[in-house]
Amino acid sequence: MAVEFPIGIYIALASALFGIGAVGFLIRRNALIQLMSIELMLNAVNVSLVAFNRAHPETQAGQVFAFFVIAVAAAEAAVGLAIVISLYRLKQTVETDSADELRY
Amino acid sequence: MNELLYERALVWIILLPLIGAVLNGLLGRFADKNLVSALGVGSVAGSFFLALVCFAHLFTGMDAANEHGAQIAVTAYQWFHLSLPTFGGGVHEVGIDVRFLMDALSGLMTLVVTGVGLVIHVYSLGYMKEDPGYARFFAYLNLFLASMLILVLGSNLPVMFVGWEGVGLCSYLLIGFWYQTPAFAAAGKKAFIANRIGDFGVLIGMFILVSAAGSFEFADINSAAPSLTQPFFLGTWQMGTLATAAGLFLFLGCTGKSAQIPLYVWLPDAMAGPTPVSALIHAATMVTAGVYLTCRLSPVFMQSPVAMGVIAVIGASTALLAASIAVAQKEMKRILAYSTVSQLGFMFAAVGVGAFSAGFYQVFTHAFFKACLFLGAGSVMHAIGSHTDADIFRLGGLHKKMPKTSWTFLLAACSIAGVPLFAGFFSKDGILLGASELAYAPEPLSANWVGGFVLVALSLAATMTAFYMFRMYFLAFTGEYRSTGEEGAAHGAHDHHAYDPNPHESPDTMTWPLIILAAGAVSLGLLGLPTEWHLTNWWQGWMGHSIASVHAAAEGAEGAEESGLTIAYWTALASGVLAMAVGIGAAYKLYYNRADDRFRDAMPGRLYQLMADKWRVDELYQRVILGPLAGLATFVGWIDQTFVDMLLTRIPSKLALLSGFVATRIQNGRVYAYGAVMTVGLAVVSWFFVTPHPNLEGQAEGATAHFEAAAGMGYAYRWDFDSDGTWDAPTQGSEEGFGAERSPSHEYAFSALRGRVLLIAQPDGDDARVLVTEEPRPLPASLLPAGWMEDPTGDATLPSVRLEGTEIVLRRNSAVFSTPHGAIADEEVHLGIGDHVIVGRPETSRTDIAVRGLVEATVEVENAFGNRAHESLELVVNVPPERSEPAQARLTTATDEVLR
Repeated sequence: MAVEFPIGIYIALASALFGIGAVGFLIRRNALIQLMSIELMLNAVNVSLVAFNRAHPETQAGQVFAFFVIAVAAAEAAVGLAIVISLYRLKQTVETDSADELRY
Repeated sequence: MNELLYERALVWIILLPLIGAVLNGLLGRFADKNLVSALGVGSVAGSFFLALVCFAHLFTGMDAANEHGAQIAVTAYQWFHLSLPTFGGGVHEVGIDVRFLMDALSGLMTLVVTGVGLVIHVYSLGYMKEDPGYARFFAYLNLFLASMLILVLGSNLPVMFVGWEGVGLCSYLLIGFWYQTPAFAAAGKKAFIANRIGDFGVLIGMFILVSAAGSFEFADINSAAPSLTQPFFLGTWQMGTLATAAGLFLFLGCTGKSAQIPLYVWLPDAMAGPTPVSALIHAATMVTAGVYLTCRLSPVFMQSPVAMGVIAVIGASTALLAASIAVAQKEMKRILAYSTVSQLGFMFAAVGVGAFSAGFYQVFTHAFFKACLFLGAGSVMHAIGSHTDADIFRLGGLHKKMPKTSWTFLLAACSIAGVPLFAGFFSKDGILLGASELAYAPEPLSANWVGGFVLVALSLAATMTAFYMFRMYFLAFTGEYRSTGEEGAAHGAHDHHAYDPNPHESPDTMTWPLIILAAGAVSLGLLGLPTEWHLTNWWQGWMGHSIASVHAAAEGAEGAEESGLTIAYWTALASGVLAMAVGIGAAYKLYYNRADDRFRDAMPGRLYQLMADKWRVDELYQRVILGPLAGLATFVGWIDQTFVDMLLTRIPSKLALLSGFVATRIQNGRVYAYGAVMTVGLAVVSWFFVTPHPNLEGQAEGATAHFEAAAGMGYAYRWDFDSDGTWDAPTQGSEEGFGAERSPSHEYAFSALRGRVLLIAQPDGDDARVLVTEEPRPLPASLLPAGWMEDPTGDATLPSVRLEGTEIVLRRNSAVFSTPHGAIADEEVHLGIGDHVIVGRPETSRTDIAVRGLVEATVEVENAFGNRAHESLELVVNVPPERSEPAQARLTTATDEVLR
C-alpha cells in the first residue's frame, strides 16, 4: 500500500531544488558547478511534472514532458561540457569570469 | 532637286559631326587611328559638302524678290510647349520647335564653321599625331562643330541656346584637354564659369523677349521689335525700354561668349588648349557667336539707342584695351589671343554703331586670317617641339627654315593689319566707315560722341594691331634663329624647356590648311568691295535680307545720295590706312632683323610693365570679386562645420555613443550577471501573467454603451454597468459568478446616471466636458467661442451651470445663447439630457453645447490562478428623461418650444 502524499509536498520539494539550482548558478564561478546547478533546476521541473502526472494521469502528459526534459538536458549537458573543455583549452581554467572575450 | 532634299541636307549638316562625335567618343579609343581620322575628318567634310550644296541653292535664289530673301527651313519636331505670362498680364501659348533655318546670315556662318572646321581638322591630323588622346580630341572637336551648327542654324532662341551651351561645354573640354596639368584644367574652369555668368544674361534676355513677343522664333521676335518700346521695370526701377533691357541682358551673354569687357579674361587663358582648338573655337567660330546673335536680333537692338551705345563703347574699349596688352606680350599664342579679343571688340563696335553687315563681314574675314595666324603659330610650335609656348624673343630667322609657314603668316598678318586690297582692309574699312558716319550724322549729339569715340579708339587699336602683328612677324621670322645650341639650352635651363635647335617645315597636312586659309585671307575682300567706288558689294546684297540696316532706313528717308564719296568715307579710309602704315612702319623700324625688345626700351618702364601684366585685371578681379567670394565661402563653410555639423552630426553621434556606453555596461562578461538579469526578467514576465489586466474600453451610442475588456489566459469576467456594487452580468444581482462575456453592450436607463455633463464642441473636433454639480460653476472662457459675449466692450461674467434635482440650469450672465429658432432671452435656461443650445453669435463665431449623462461601468477579471483585478470606466451617454418625469413640466415655455 503506497503512501499518498499531498501534491503540495512535491511542489515544495521541486521549488526547493529549483531555488538551490538557481542560487548555485548565480553565485558560483565554476562552469562545471554551474552546469550541475542547471541540471538541478531541470530535474526540479521534472519532479513537479511527474507529480502533476500523478494528480492528473489521464493523458500521461506530465511524464511525456519529463522525458522530453531529460532528453534536452542530456543534449544540453553534452554541448555545455564541450564548451567547458574549449574554455579550459583556451584559458587553462574553468572559471566563467575568465570567459569575457565579448565584454565591452 | 526639290526643297525636301535640301531640308534633309540641312539636318544632316548637323547630324554628321554629331555621329562622328558619338562614335569617336565611345569607340574611338579601341579603334585604329586611321579609322578615327577618317571618321573625324570625313564627317566634317560631308557636312561642308552639304553646306555648300545648300548655300549654292540659296545663292541661286538670292535675287528672288522675296521679302525675307531665300531660305531653307525645316522643323524636326516640336520640343515642348509652354504657357508664359506676358507683360500685360495675359498668357502666351508658346510652342518650341526644334527648327533649323538657313538664310544668308546663317548660311555664310555655316560655311565658315564647316569650311574652316574642315581645314582645321585636316591640320589636326598632323598636329595631334603623337597625342595619346587622339580619338578623344576628334570626338570633342566634332561635338563642338555639331553644337556650333545647332547654334548657327537654330531658328529660335531655345534651340540656339542648346548650341550656345554645347559650344561652351566643348570649349571647357578642349581648353582642359591636357587636364593632367592643373593650370590647364583651371583655365578650362575659368572659361566655363565666365561663360555661365554670360549665359545667365542670355536666359534673362530670352525671357524678356518671349514675354514681349510671344514667340521664341527669331523671325517673330524681329517682326515684333517695333513694339518693344514699352518701359521695363526691374522691381520698381524702370530700366529703360523692353528693347534696352533685353539688349543689355543679351549683350551680357555676348561679353561672356565673345570675350568682351568685363568677361574677356577667360579667352587669353583658353590658349592652354591645343592650337587647333585655339584657331577653331577661340578665334574663328565660337567667340563670334555673340556677334552672330546680335546680328540675328538686329531689329531688337536697333530699337534701343542706349543698348547700341553701350555695345559700341564696350566694343571699342575692349578693342583698345586688348590691343594695348598684346603689344607687350612675348608668346605667340598669347599675342594672338589678345588680338582675338581686340578684333572681337572691333566687331561689337561695328554692331554698336549700326553697321551690322560690316561687323558680320569682319566675323567672316577674321575667321580666315586669325585661324591662319593661329595655325601658323601652331606650325611654329610644332617645329620647335613645344606644346605650350613660343617665345618670339627666343625664335627668329624662321623664314628661311619654314618658308610656307612664314609666307602664309605674313599674308594673314597683312590682312589683319589692314594692308589695302587684303580682306581685312575691306572689313575694317566698313567698320570705321560705320563709326565715322555716326560721328558725322546730323543728329543726335550723343550718337556723334559715340561715333567719334569709336572711330578714335578703333583707329588707335588698328595702329596697335598692325604694330604687334608685325612685331611678332619680324621677331619670329626675320633675323637669326636664337635657340640654337647652347643659347637655347641656356634659355631652357631657367625657362620651361629648350626649343628644338633645328626647326623644320611642318608636314603637308599642316601647311595645306595654312595655304587655303591664307588664300581666303587675301581674296575674300572681293565679296565686300566698297559701294562708294560704284563697285558691287555682294556682301551687303546678301545680308540685306537677314540683317536690319540703319542705312537702309536712312536711305528710305533721305533718298539714295548716301553712296557717294562723302567726308565720312574719306575720314574712315584715311584713319584706316594711316593706322596700318604707322603700325607696320614702327614695327619695321624697331624689330626688323633684331632680337632685342626696343619697344620696351622706348616706353616708360612702369607703363610697359603694366601692359605686360595685362593691366593687372586678373589681379583686380581676384581682389574685388574672387577674394571676397572666397572669404564668404570660408565663412559659410565655417558656420556649416561649426553649427550645422554640431547639430546634425556631432551631438547625435555623442548621444549614440553615450547610449552605447550605457548599454554595453550590461555586457560585462560575468556569467552570473547575465543570469541575474535573466532571472529578474523572468520574474517580471511571470508577474505579468499571474496578474489579470482588464484594460477596459468602451464607447457610447445614444443610450447604449459597448464595452470591451482584454482577452487573456483563462480570463473570466463579471460586469457592474452602473457601478452600484452589485454585479449585473453574467447573472443579475449575483455575488460570485464569472462568465466568458468580454464585450457586452448595455442600454442605460435614466435612473442609472451618476451625473450630468455639458459637452462643448471645440474647433479641433473633440468635445470638451464640463461636469455639472449642485454648486454653480462657470464655463471656462477658453472653451467658449470668441464671440460669446453680448457686449464685447464691457465687463463680462461667464455663463454658469448647476444641477437642480435631475435638471440642469444654465445661467446666461453676459453670454449670448440661442437655439436654431432664435435667441434665448431668459436669464436662466432649464435643460434636460439630450437638449442642446448654441452659444455665441452666428455671424462671428459660435459653438454647440449639448447636455449628456454620465455613467460608470466596472469589470472584474479573474484568471487561471484565481487572481482578480477590476477596472472602472466613465462614459457619456445620451439618455433622454422618460416622458413621465416631472422635470419635463418645469421647462420654461420658450425653451420648451425650441428644444423639442
